[in-house]
Amino acid sequence: MGNISGNAYALTVLAPIREGHVDERAYSSLVRDHLENWNLLPNSPMAQVPQTYLCRYFVLDDVYIESLPGASALDTYSDFLPVVPNGVRLGVLPAHDHLKSKYLVFSCNFHGDLDTYLHAMWTAISTEIKDVWGYCYGFDQVTNAEEFAAYVKKCQLPAALFFVGSNDDPLEEQLKALYLKQEFSKFAVESQGLPTALLKKKYQEFIARVAPTNLSGPSWTPGQYSLPKAQDKQQEAAL
Amino acid sequence: MSNIAGKAYAMNVITPIRWYTTWLNKLIFWVALKKPSTLSGLITLSLIHYARWVIIGKNQFPHVHVDQPKEELRYSYMLFFSNFNGSWDQYVDSFTFAIPSGLDMFWKWNIRYPHSVALTPFHKYIQYNQLETAHYYSAYPLAASNDIKAAKKLKSMLIAFDQQWHDAPDEQFQKQYNTLLRGLQHDMGEMRPTPIVSMSAAQVEKRHARDLRKAKQEKVEAMEGPQHG
Repeated sequence: MGNISGNAYALTVLAPIREGHVDERAYSSLVRDHLENWNLLPNSPMAQVPQTYLCRYFVLDDVYIESLPGASALDTYSDFLPVVPNGVRLGVLPAHDHLKSKYLVFSCNFHGDLDTYLHAMWTAISTEIKDVWGYCYGFDQVTNAEEFAAYVKKCQLPAALFFVGSNDDPLEEQLKALYLKQEFSKFAVESQGLPTALLKKKYQEFIARVAPTNLSGPSWTPGQYSLPKAQDKQQEAAL
Repeated sequence: MSNIAGKAYAMNVITPIRWYTTWLNKLIFWVALKKPSTLSGLITLSLIHYARWVIIGKNQFPHVHVDQPKEELRYSYMLFFSNFNGSWDQYVDSFTFAIPSGLDMFWKWNIRYPHSVALTPFHKYIQYNQLETAHYYSAYPLAASNDIKAAKKLKSMLIAFDQQWHDAPDEQFQKQYNTLLRGLQHDMGEMRPTPIVSMSAAQVEKRHARDLRKAKQEKVEAMEGPQHG
């Protein structure tokens, strides 16, 4: 199936937004407002959803048609033949397509299987989900994780091709690896030229501190966008 | 709008396909899926975290409720989602320069696709068909795709080294430690929150700092006020 590559899953959801408005704001604008308000929080609510690698939301207002001539002979021919009656010329131009509903698009890359992920998502951020998805057709019937998973599957579209450019490890593994890369790079620089005995001692202290095989030990947190300051590091080292 | 989450950029592109050529696009993707060697060009673009193509038939837009009007479209549509590192131009240009034929193969049947070479019409095509992201989240905004690949290698080599040489005699330890560093020389390096880790996070922190400054100033003014008065 195109949605799966190794242990990584590509979820693509188009949830139709109801027609209607509150005061003078259309539901689709309110959905967008909610999503953009997430940008003002210290971190995304999606940071609380286990195993999320990267994800995005947007509102699909309509479909778009590129209007410049493409590379096919017909495109250029039809655009540059002034002797052809206008009606004929316009007739071979791309047709105008318009959507009847606007869609909330949720595109997510995560580790593991879909059901587990959606259940965990509902458990972690059901309030935020309701805020945003509550304007979609049929979402008023969703009251629990089971129904949420069923609803998402109804709105799901299969990926024709899913490409994983990094890796499909569990998120905890990825974050731990990044933490180790950061810490070991620093350690290697700081311990350059040390006498062997001291280097070994420092290395053993380093390993005790970073605990490479312990995923619940020191690591990066999901969505972490800044590095601990020097004093925090000292406190961490003292522990 | 928030197309950026740390070092990742979210690109969404929607392009129309004639419904009767949709199967050709699907066939191309099916072959790519079954024969991963066809994606070797894509693998050289190491700046990609994850990318996907979704084809929506003209009658396949989700319909979930009786009140929802049914779509009546003339075209099918292809959605392209990518998570990559660097700027928009770097990404689009790297596609053009690294895998122009692969790109043309995937988009060939899309209406008015200008081909990936020359660059300017291709830029315009993507710009016209790109959709802006409202909210974008990355679990590791400090890391590029290459950092994640390098970190995986570093972690496994460090663990293997530690299991074998943690308590080795000094001389042997030094020798093996040097070997470890040589083996990891392309995978080390600290990550930094640059250039913009999160527009939103940066704004939140900026606002927070400004509010603190303002509150402090107001406090000082309140204390000074009666004295001057």
